[in-house]
Amino acid sequence: MNTRTRPASATAKRSRLDPEPLPRRDWIGISAVAAAAGSLLFALLGILRLPKPAVFASPSKTFNVTLPEGLALGQPYIPPGRAVMLVRDEEGVFALSTVCTHLGCLVRPAPDGYECPCHGSRFAPDGAILKGPAPRGLPWLQIDGSGGTYLVDEGVEVPVGTRASL
Amino acid sequence: MADSERSGLGVFFANLKEAPQRVLRSLFRSGPPATDRSRSSFVFDNVFLHIHAVRTHRWSLRWATTWGLGVASAAAFLIALATGVLLMFYYKPYPEVAYDSIKDIHFVVPTGRFIRNLHRWAANVMVVVVFLHMARTFYTAGYRSPREFNWLIGLGLLVTTLGLSFTGYLLPWDQLAYWAITIGANIAQSPQELTDAVGITEYFDPGGLQRELLLGSDVVGADALIRFYLLHVMVLPLLFVALLAAHIWRVRKDGGLARPADADDRLGPPPPDTYPVFTETPQKTYHLAAIVEGRTPAVDQSPENTVPSMPHLFYAEMGVLMVTLLVCLLLALSFDAPLKELANPMVPENPAKAPWYFLGLQELVAYSAFMGGVGIPTLVIIGLGLIPYLDRETRGTGEWFGGPGGGRLVWHSTVIGLAAAVGIAAFAIYFGWLREWFPDIPQLVITFVNPGTILAAFYAAYSLYLVRRYNSTRAGALGLFTCFLCGFVVLTVIGWYFRGPNWDFYWSPADWPAH
Amino acid sequence: MNKNKHLLLWSSLAVLALLVAAAVEENYLKEWRRIQQSMAVEGEPIDVRLRQIVIPELGTTDRCVTCHVGMAPGEMALAAEGTGLAAPHPFVWHDPAEFGCTTCHGGQGLATETADAHGEVRHWPEPMLPGRFAYASCGSCHTHLGVPDFEQLDFGVRLLERHDCLACHAVDGRGGTTRPFAAAGIEAPDLSHVGLTGVDPYWYVHHLEHHELADEGPWKTSFAPIDPADLTALEAYLGTRVGAPGLVAAKSTFHTRGCYGCHQLGGVGGDEGPDLDRAGLMDPELLDFSEVPGERTVANWLATHLHHPAALVDGSQMPAMGLSDEEIELLTFYMLSLRREERTAAFTPNDRLEAERFGAREFTTDGPTLYAAFCSACHGAEGQGRRYPDAIPFPSVANADFLAVASDGFLRETLRRGRLGRRMPAFAADQVGLTDEEIDTVIAYLRHLAGDVPAPPEPAQFRWVEADAALGETLYRQHCASCHGAEGDGPEAPALDHPTFLETADDSYLVDTITRGRSGTPMHGFGSGTPAFPALAAEEIEAIVSHLRTWQEE
Repeated sequence: MNTRTRPASATAKRSRLDPEPLPRRDWIGISAVAAAAGSLLFALLGILRLPKPAVFASPSKTFNVTLPEGLALGQPYIPPGRAVMLVRDEEGVFALSTVCTHLGCLVRPAPDGYECPCHGSRFAPDGAILKGPAPRGLPWLQIDGSGGTYLVDEGVEVPVGTRASL
Repeated sequence: MADSERSGLGVFFANLKEAPQRVLRSLFRSGPPATDRSRSSFVFDNVFLHIHAVRTHRWSLRWATTWGLGVASAAAFLIALATGVLLMFYYKPYPEVAYDSIKDIHFVVPTGRFIRNLHRWAANVMVVVVFLHMARTFYTAGYRSPREFNWLIGLGLLVTTLGLSFTGYLLPWDQLAYWAITIGANIAQSPQELTDAVGITEYFDPGGLQRELLLGSDVVGADALIRFYLLHVMVLPLLFVALLAAHIWRVRKDGGLARPADADDRLGPPPPDTYPVFTETPQKTYHLAAIVEGRTPAVDQSPENTVPSMPHLFYAEMGVLMVTLLVCLLLALSFDAPLKELANPMVPENPAKAPWYFLGLQELVAYSAFMGGVGIPTLVIIGLGLIPYLDRETRGTGEWFGGPGGGRLVWHSTVIGLAAAVGIAAFAIYFGWLREWFPDIPQLVITFVNPGTILAAFYAAYSLYLVRRYNSTRAGALGLFTCFLCGFVVLTVIGWYFRGPNWDFYWSPADWPAH
Repeated sequence: MNKNKHLLLWSSLAVLALLVAAAVEENYLKEWRRIQQSMAVEGEPIDVRLRQIVIPELGTTDRCVTCHVGMAPGEMALAAEGTGLAAPHPFVWHDPAEFGCTTCHGGQGLATETADAHGEVRHWPEPMLPGRFAYASCGSCHTHLGVPDFEQLDFGVRLLERHDCLACHAVDGRGGTTRPFAAAGIEAPDLSHVGLTGVDPYWYVHHLEHHELADEGPWKTSFAPIDPADLTALEAYLGTRVGAPGLVAAKSTFHTRGCYGCHQLGGVGGDEGPDLDRAGLMDPELLDFSEVPGERTVANWLATHLHHPAALVDGSQMPAMGLSDEEIELLTFYMLSLRREERTAAFTPNDRLEAERFGAREFTTDGPTLYAAFCSACHGAEGQGRRYPDAIPFPSVANADFLAVASDGFLRETLRRGRLGRRMPAFAADQVGLTDEEIDTVIAYLRHLAGDVPAPPEPAQFRWVEADAALGETLYRQHCASCHGAEGDGPEAPALDHPTFLETADDSYLVDTITRGRSGTPMHGFGSGTPAFPALAAEEIEAIVSHLRTWQEE
């Protein structure tokens, strides 16, 4: 602005309600505001990444479990603190997630298999879906081992029918 | 097409098409800030900008008037506020997990380390800048009438700033934090030094009460942590924001920044591109004309030397904000915020050092916990608060080192203040103090006779001498303020650099014993 | 007023540049990102993300697997072909997915940068254990039981070799090449971990049956009947095979050098020196490394300390034991393993439960081990006594002359009550933790060491001497005071004024000792004369005893 020369008399006659007589680009001002806005925007983008966690503090999904002695065939065993049940049948032992596939409530044993207390989904003893609103059956989980002690991985789903030996 | 010819649906789609423009227009109601009036509207139509005056005096925009320190303090606060809120996403204020959550922030949270460093450095920058801002206001005599009350609000902001910084110190729950807070809590308890000496602690125990209120328990534990957290993220920030709003609002109400009476003459004629104001009518008539007697608050001053705040003030403010951010970023990228071992109540840190701005006090605390931690700071705060009410002179307002004596007096006071502080500290370091000479001496004597009190008394005496010599309260204030600043710097440097394990004196941290 | 615009422009551009730099560092330059970017499975790059193992019961969050990706649970495909950081964890008894990384290796699990993660930074008190001492971490949960002294451990190894067990069985990576039932048959079990499950009580019976039925092959040629003493020793040795042979050898060294005499572990041992339960968890930042050569590691500090304790710890009462380099290495290993942590029940192994709840011993309770573990540091490996520089000499205890006159009752009381105020601790169960049976075992072993000296009969009468104490005093000054001190306080020879000594020693013991002396020590028998000291008459000796008794009455 100070490069502009203007007769003082012209200044005196102008009203403060008039726009500036010679509209022109104030390049330094514009770029300064743009740079400031740009850097603040960039900072905002950067810090918006912070709330999304990079890792979850959830415990390791792999754990050992020993079946209690005298567990009846078909009776589910839920290791303390885990959302998994181990079921022994004639063919072996399989691990079934107890998390309902609808909205994540924990299913509980019912006469014909399992039922979800939240919205009434029902599942067969092998996890197959009997009644909605759950969209699919209970996932089968990876299980290894034999002889009553098994290594279960909650994080790995396996095809239905995958069992560990007795 | 005329409206009547369009169907209802046609109008709907036409409105839909215009909607974006109308949204913009509703946001920027006064149009582009191309005229002085639209620039004014830009300011007073906006709730956030409205705390500024519409026009700013050219004197205020000189860099040397403020060096942008007030805006820089606010900027540092904003940076600390933004980063602090982000840290709250991950920080868990509970002893067992607080430390781990800081480790998480450091190692795995996206941008976490950077944000934490930024938070810490913004806090430190804020403390420095707030001190400097206060010094600036003092040396330019900006506290004088009608700005006395704003000086008090400023003092409140200083104390709140230190409180914010100190409460944040405990949150990482590492050794540094734990032992600094243990010491801090015991300083809060130190009025017991007095009540014990008089023997009334049993009946009247303000020290114990303070400590209890601070810690919520008798040890630094989960209760203390949640209290410090609450103070740090809620109570003190709210208080700070309230005080800050009042502070800035008062700047405007008190007629902008203090400036010399002859500021207009010194500034010379306005640059040719600034437009004259109030050319059509000779008086301001838009404000409380029916209530206020006289002309305007800006009595005796020509409005001609003001410029529209938009954009001139905002360029300056944004510029200072960006420079502050730049400094914080540079520090954050260069130095990680410290995190020591997990707090261990069984193994004291040695030396356990307070945050740097309290190291001067910690140096005094080495003689008397009460005097160093409570007595002298309280006296200093009271003294600072009294300044504008005692100094009612007018000479030198708005000028650096304005007043009788001026720069030369400040220069002399600096030398005397430094020499006295170094002298008494060196004496105490080399010869010890009363406790070493007379092990059985009552603590009460040391409470009142220690390097801190002697130094303060000396400064006060020197200041009274100046009042007499220059026949001016301002001269005494200049001397006293300068001396205390020097004492603060000297003691802080000693505490920060020259004190090692067991608070022994070392010429360099390299000389510290291995453990 | 353009300068404010310039201020804004250039500071904003600088801020932007710094932010971009920070973003690049955050998103592209992180060490672990570059490591993961260099890894691939079948040509496909792996998913670049933070990986971790979280075990809430152990309180660990281990991000080691962010760089050691092959060891992360669920990275089987990578681990199958990977080398270096992509390599899987070698097979171990404890699956890393179940126990995490830092539980065994130490270091800083939360960290994602090499130096921080390995704990080689300031302000992290638990750096990673050096590779050669990795098994020291067993000690944070386990308490290996029944570890004998080094000689017996070594004997166990030689027994395995002598009886050719290694022909079929592998133990600690040795042997096991022959299959007992010809080439096609099953392998003999690996015995490296047999101590964990317990030794099958019928193994010898079964082996004998096979031996008797077989006509040829290893059952005939390698196996032969074993005599009962060897059998016991062999089973004891196998009981120590828990998959950590180095650590067991290290522990055995601790049991050999008499460390229990002064140090407590799990509430057992003398209290003269520091309790060692958590000696392996020392914070390197709190240690003085100014005299320690080499790296600033706890292991180095321990090794230097064992070499010469007083050089590192001011006023340390621990003598320089004259340990060999191998012994120092082993003891350092054992020290590092002393890191008892409180764990939840699920992570508290049986051996520790047995030790803590049921009083199972970490050492074997045979005479040689008990003596070596509790007594040998002061009284010498052979009971010959010991003299350390600048310390009161320790008496010879496996001395035939001493044991011939000292009744078992006297010895038992001495061991039980110790010498309050002197270095000898009270070893009774309520003090140091030795049971009466264990004390008797030690006494029996002492008699064995001294050449099977029979115990003298218990004294019928405890105090019978009635002689002239004044004469005794003169004689004492003349003959005894030069070694035992004018007031009987030593220090060259054992203190005679000690109340426990005077209380437990009967008159016959005192008279006999003065009369017979102690061969192998400066104490000669006063019953028979020497050129320097003429023989004393029986009354004179009794007079001295009377004089000694005057101290007791005081």
